[in-house]
Parts: sequence; structure tokens; C-alpha cells
Amino acid sequence: MKTTMKYQIIRLLLTLTLISGVCVANTAAQGGYSYGNTAGKNEACLNCHGDAQKVKGSSFIDQTQFAHTTHAKIGCPACHDGISKGHPDGKSSPRANCQECHGDINNEYAKSNHAGKAPCAGCHNPHKVETPREISGEEINRMCSGCHDSYRILASHAEWLPQADLHLDMLPCITCHTESRNYSIIMYVVKRNSPSRGGKMETATYNDLKTAVKDDNILTLIDGNGDNYISLAELRIFNSDPNHKSLRLHGMMTPESVTHNFRVLDNRRNCTFCHVSGPAAMQTSFVALPEKNGTFRQVAVEKGAVLDALYGTPDFYMMGATRNASLNMIGMFIIAGGLVLPVGHGSLRFLTRKNRNGKEHQS
Amino acid sequence: MREKIMIYLQPTPVRIWHWLNAIGIITLCLTGAQIRFPETVTLFGSYKSAILLHNAAGLVVAVSFSIWYFFYKLVRGNLEKLYVPTGDDLRHGLVRQLLFYCFWYFRGDPSPHHPTPNNKFNPMQKSAYLAVMFVLMPMVSLTGILLLNVSVLRELILMSGGLKIIIAMHFLLACSLCAFLFTHVYLATLGKTALAYIKPMLTGWEEEEEHGQPQPAKEVFPGYKPVRHYAEYNGLEQQSDHRGN
Repeated sequence: MKTTMKYQIIRLLLTLTLISGVCVANTAAQGGYSYGNTAGKNEACLNCHGDAQKVKGSSFIDQTQFAHTTHAKIGCPACHDGISKGHPDGKSSPRANCQECHGDINNEYAKSNHAGKAPCAGCHNPHKVETPREISGEEINRMCSGCHDSYRILASHAEWLPQADLHLDMLPCITCHTESRNYSIIMYVVKRNSPSRGGKMETATYNDLKTAVKDDNILTLIDGNGDNYISLAELRIFNSDPNHKSLRLHGMMTPESVTHNFRVLDNRRNCTFCHVSGPAAMQTSFVALPEKNGTFRQVAVEKGAVLDALYGTPDFYMMGATRNASLNMIGMFIIAGGLVLPVGHGSLRFLTRKNRNGKEHQS
Repeated sequence: MREKIMIYLQPTPVRIWHWLNAIGIITLCLTGAQIRFPETVTLFGSYKSAILLHNAAGLVVAVSFSIWYFFYKLVRGNLEKLYVPTGDDLRHGLVRQLLFYCFWYFRGDPSPHHPTPNNKFNPMQKSAYLAVMFVLMPMVSLTGILLLNVSVLRELILMSGGLKIIIAMHFLLACSLCAFLFTHVYLATLGKTALAYIKPMLTGWEEEEEHGQPQPAKEVFPGYKPVRHYAEYNGLEQQSDHRGN
């Protein structure tokens, strides 16, 4: 009895092994495609689509970037449902409608100036989506400049905006062209793209900073004690350190909440929208450090960094809004010093006026 | 009665330059105040108009500063003579002028400095103008030019330590010029009459009293004896004698 039982179990196991073996062989024969196999769905697709040698152009998916997205978690078939059995057979693959999941954003976007002019994929690569905190301001603007020619944008802003080039350099487009209640200053490490003095400053990559720190933990470049919080003292040390002269912090004023309601907001044409918002609004700042996978990690900075007199953010200053209180006091003392003579001497002059009047009469 | 001499102290270009500068610098101080404190100072309406006016006035003053330099250095050739204090100015003139402002003026004595077209500033004026015209004005103009062209001149800004250093310098230098302005206007009223020093800047002509020949003075305080001094400072008696003439 026992022997028969044992025999039956072995036979069952052998059958299962045989069936799975046939399945695997089948998939391999179809070039790695495994539609419907929920266990290893992404890997099988990426076997080809994650290999730049096998697929070209927009069909190529950067595996590191894709792995980071929420889209990777729901899997390829969730969006590309109904791919032909003969794939790759030259037939175009089905694509999901973004609004099936992102209905709210779609409704919001429908009301914006962009509606009907660009589909979601016009700005977003679904295989590389990042949250607003994980993307640099420069990359945000690169999405916009895909359609909006940089020179024409500069020219149209320069018609009414003083120092338009400087403004466009320090602001992601969405700061003015979408609504947000609050803003924070995000600082990116920038470095020269060439060793010469005139080289353009560009956002430093993970590898750039790794070379600078000579360590995997690039956080310690600015956050000296590695507590994931950058104090004003640490910020000043980094900014005045002659060893890091080629690295600087480039600040950008970024909205705290991001919407898709792209518009031309008339109140942004009034300089005081930003330049009077004053020290209260300028307290929050972060340093955005590049990660291995190409995203950014925001590290909180002690309050008031952009209001520091000299070395908090040496290259970021917003007239009116980020003035330093101590410098104001020194300035007031200097002006008051200029009043000492008129007031002091003037009082004595008034008291001794008879001396001079008498002598003038003599003459 | 003393003999009165009129001397042509301020040539027309200097007067035009002076009042252009005056309007420019006052505009710069006021617009600058609005730019730094936009929520409290709203003199010029919108922030943008304050900035545009500040930029325009800044350029006018910077150009006028260059014209001043070329006029005195190249046209008149007496820049150093007028603005750089001499050894005698430093050794005696400064103290003499200070004593005048602190004591003699209140007693009713005239200024120990007697301006001539080639020596129109007293030693204290020379030192103050040397600092203002050779340090404050060029520095405030240069930092202003950098701030007006941040993108184009970013390399120079980085070389000097960053935007905030330039901003801080521009602000503190401007405050110093503003402080100088108060002192300058007040000292301009210290002539024989309140307008005696202001009139020459409008008409060019200054009314001058004739003094006796310079002669050795008595000790003003132990250890300090101003040399080559005028008669009225040699003693009160002599002074009243002189005035009685």
C-alpha cells in the first residue's frame, strides 16, 4: 500500500515537472514573451525591452528607472493588455488609457491651457515617471522645452519680466504656471561641465558626487554628521569649503503641491507675489541629492537657510523676500551714524547761534 | 569793512554733474529702500517700476561717475591735487578742521580752510571725498553692474564668493553713501550763512572773505601747534582786531 502511494506521488511530481518544463520551453520559443504569466511578467518583457541591443528607440525601457515606478509594480500587462500571441510580429501593441487610473488628473488637465494640445505621454514617459520630489527642476523644465522653444520662451518673458534669463534659470515653469499654496527652495548640487572656468554649471549626477566624496554615501558631502538633516552650520561649511569650489548649490523656488492645471496666472506678473512673500515663506528648503537610479532624494535643511547673510545659500537670493535681518541692522546703524553729525552738531549749533549772529553783525 | 572777493569755484560741468548725481543718488536710495523692504516702502508704486527706476538711475550715476573721473583726470588734470590730502593736510589740516567743526565753529570763528579753484576742499572734505569717490562710488557701481547682469557676469560673481556677498556689499555700501549724504548736506549749511556753501553749487561763484597772510599759530593744545595758520586763530584778541579792521 505504502509503496503504491509513494509511486503515485513520484508520478505526480514527475508530471508537474514535465508540464512546467514544456511551458518554459514554450515561452523561450516565443522569444521571452510571457503574457499571462503573472509570476514573472515584467522580467520576461524586459528580457527584450530592457536590452538596448534587442530593441531600439522608444521601445527600449531603462530597467533601473522603470523598476522605481509604481507602473512597474502593477506590471506590463496592466497597461499593455491584449498583446498579440505572435508578438513581436510588427503589430502595434495596445496601450492603456492613463485616465483609467488617473481620472482626477485627467479632469484637472482638461481644464488647463494644455488640454487637447499634448497627451499625457507628451510630457511623461510612463516607464520613467517620478514623483515631483524625485525630479530636478531642470528635468521638469526639460519636459516643457520639448514643445516650448527655450529662446522663444525667454524672448516672450523678457517682454515684461526684468532679468528674464535669471528668473527662468531659478524657477521650474510650474512654479508660475500652476497653482500651489506654498513654495520651498530646493537646492541641487551643480558642477561645471568642463574644467575650464567658463564651463556651464550643470546638475551633478550620483557618480559626480561619488567621485567628489570618494565614498558611496554622498549625503556626507553636505550633511557632515550623516543624520539626514542639514543644519545651517553644515550648509555654511559646504558652501565655504575651498575643496568643493567646483560644486555649488543651485536653488530653485518650487511649488510644494503640483497640479496639472497649466495656466497663465496674471498674479504672477506682479513681482510682489514672490518678492514680498517675505521671510516667513522663505523658511523651508531642501537639498536634493541625486540617487543611483537617476532620481533625487530631498534632505531637509534647517529653517531659514536662504535668509542666512552670506554662506547659507551664497548663490540664491530673492530681492526683498530673502533679505537678512542682521545686515538690515548693520545698514540701519550705518545710516544712523550719518545722522549723528546733523543731529548732534545741529543741536550745539542751535544753542550757540548767538556767537555767530553777533560776529556777523560786526562785519 | 572787509574786502569781499568773488571766486569762481564750481565750473558749469561740475554743477550739472553735481545735481545730476544728487537726483540720481537720492532716487537710488529711495528705490533701493523699496526694493529691499517692498512691504513697507511703496513710494514708486509697483515693485517693477522701482526696479526699473533703480536700474536707470544706477546707470546714470555710474556713467556720470566715469565722466567725473575723465573730467578731472584728463580735462582738468587736477584730480590728485583736489582729492588727495597732502602731507600737511594729514599732519595738521585734519586736526585743524576737526577743531573748527567741534569748537571754533560754535565760538563763531570762520573756517580755517579758504577754498581756491585748485584747492577747493578742506582736508576733511578731501579725506571724505577720497573715500566716497575712490572707494564707495566705484564699489557700489561695480556691485550694481554685477547685480544688473547676473546671468552674463555669473563667472565674476562666483569669483567674488557668490551673489549674497555682492548683495551684502551693495547694500552696506549704499547705506554708507546714504549716511554720507546726510553728513554732506548738513556740512553744506555750515558756511557763514546756511546757503553760503550751497549757492556756489548753483551759480559757480563763492563769496570769500580776505584773510591775513598765514603765520605761525600758538599751541592749540599742549603738544599741537598748527603751522602756517591764519591770523584769526592766533588768539582771540588778534582775531577781534582783525575783524574790527
